[in-house]
Amino acid sequence: MNKVLFFAHLRDVVGEEFLMVEAAGKTVAELKAELAGKYDLPRLETVMTAINEEFASNDEVIKDGDEIAFIPPVSGG
Amino acid sequence: MRSRLFRRLAGDEVFYNRSLSLLKQMLQPKARRLGEFSFQKGGMKMNERYSRQILFPGIGKEGQDKISRKHVLIIGAGALGSGNAEILTRAGVGKITIVDRDYVEASNLQRQQLYTEEDVAEKLPKAAAAEKRLKAINSDVDIRAIIGDATPEMLEELVPDVDVMMDATDNFETRMAMNDVAQKHNIPWIYGACVGSFGMSFSIIPGKTPCLNCLLRTIPLQGMTCDTGGVISPTVQMVISHQTAEALKMLVEDWDAVRTSFVSFDLWRNQYTSMKMSKAKFAGCLSCGEERTYPYLDRENMTKTTVLCGRDTVQIRPANTGEISLEQLAAQLSSLGYNVKGNPYLLSVEMGEERMVIFQDGRALIHGTKDLTHAKTIYQRIMG
Repeated sequence: MNKVLFFAHLRDVVGEEFLMVEAAGKTVAELKAELAGKYDLPRLETVMTAINEEFASNDEVIKDGDEIAFIPPVSGG
Repeated sequence: MRSRLFRRLAGDEVFYNRSLSLLKQMLQPKARRLGEFSFQKGGMKMNERYSRQILFPGIGKEGQDKISRKHVLIIGAGALGSGNAEILTRAGVGKITIVDRDYVEASNLQRQQLYTEEDVAEKLPKAAAAEKRLKAINSDVDIRAIIGDATPEMLEELVPDVDVMMDATDNFETRMAMNDVAQKHNIPWIYGACVGSFGMSFSIIPGKTPCLNCLLRTIPLQGMTCDTGGVISPTVQMVISHQTAEALKMLVEDWDAVRTSFVSFDLWRNQYTSMKMSKAKFAGCLSCGEERTYPYLDRENMTKTTVLCGRDTVQIRPANTGEISLEQLAAQLSSLGYNVKGNPYLLSVEMGEERMVIFQDGRALIHGTKDLTHAKTIYQRIMG
């Protein structure tokens, strides 16, 4: 199982601070596509991903037990 | 009689001398603490101005000397720009250049710490209002304010003698241009952004850290979160604290102390994350990779119309920039029956549902619409 954390407006859309999902073997891009379909999450392509608090690219493969965080870059200032 | 008086006077003298030496003793350590520089400025003793910062081991006297010789460029004078500018001005940075394209409005006052109700009433450009306030805070600092859009051309012109660049913009188009300029001219810069109770910051050092283009690979579509999320002042202040702490480290050249992780936080939900970035550098990056092209410095890649973040406003930037005569334009529009207000920097024209604000460089803000084409139409109706 994998814990998936959401930040900023993503958390509002999902309605939870985190989800427990089975993501082992999937790439970050695949997980993003799956979640985008399920929760109507907009523009996940440019959302940054951390695996175990380390930056991960879209083609990185997720392992069982990895903690994933989706951090949307924001532009306000 | 005589001798009694003499004894009394002598006694008084002894008392006086003792008191004087006691007073000297009390004052002496204090005088030493004040240091060798003592001067007056506007009736105030300024010798202790930076003393608390100098006492801080990370800065010290040597660090303060370095800070006083450095030049910081701040892009944007909104919430992040105000706070960054105030902290760095108070810290005694030698020279600060601040660029902004907007003017002060009532909705800014909740968080944009340099501005007052008077600035709103006068519709002062933010850069002009910021300059006035910053100069009043610290006259040691050479403050330069630029009213205008931070285009790639302007950035390239400004950066050659800049030591650190602060990101206080509200859009990714300008950030990507800053990122390319920083890579091309080898200038460290500090990304900062916020919306709602969520904020983030990352220090970008060319040749050392990944760059913004490594992380994003493309300009994220913007607007949604800014339009809907609002922002609270504590979020702004937290981002500013992260940015200015990084800036001070860079200004004193304590490069080992510079944060290498990407920090993000949510003050309302009590989350704080620190993402390690050692694997984030992208070899094929067009901004910092081996075959770099600096794509965001190409004017062809820049849009000329922009929806301003969080506002029902479109900015129009004409392709040919040059001074326009606001006086002539005001007279012309008034004769056509438009309600026109203005100051030496801009004109504000009421146009039914919309209001257009025109700056001297031909740039305009169309308030009351998010429709780019509609905004352009309104602009062209007036400006040709």
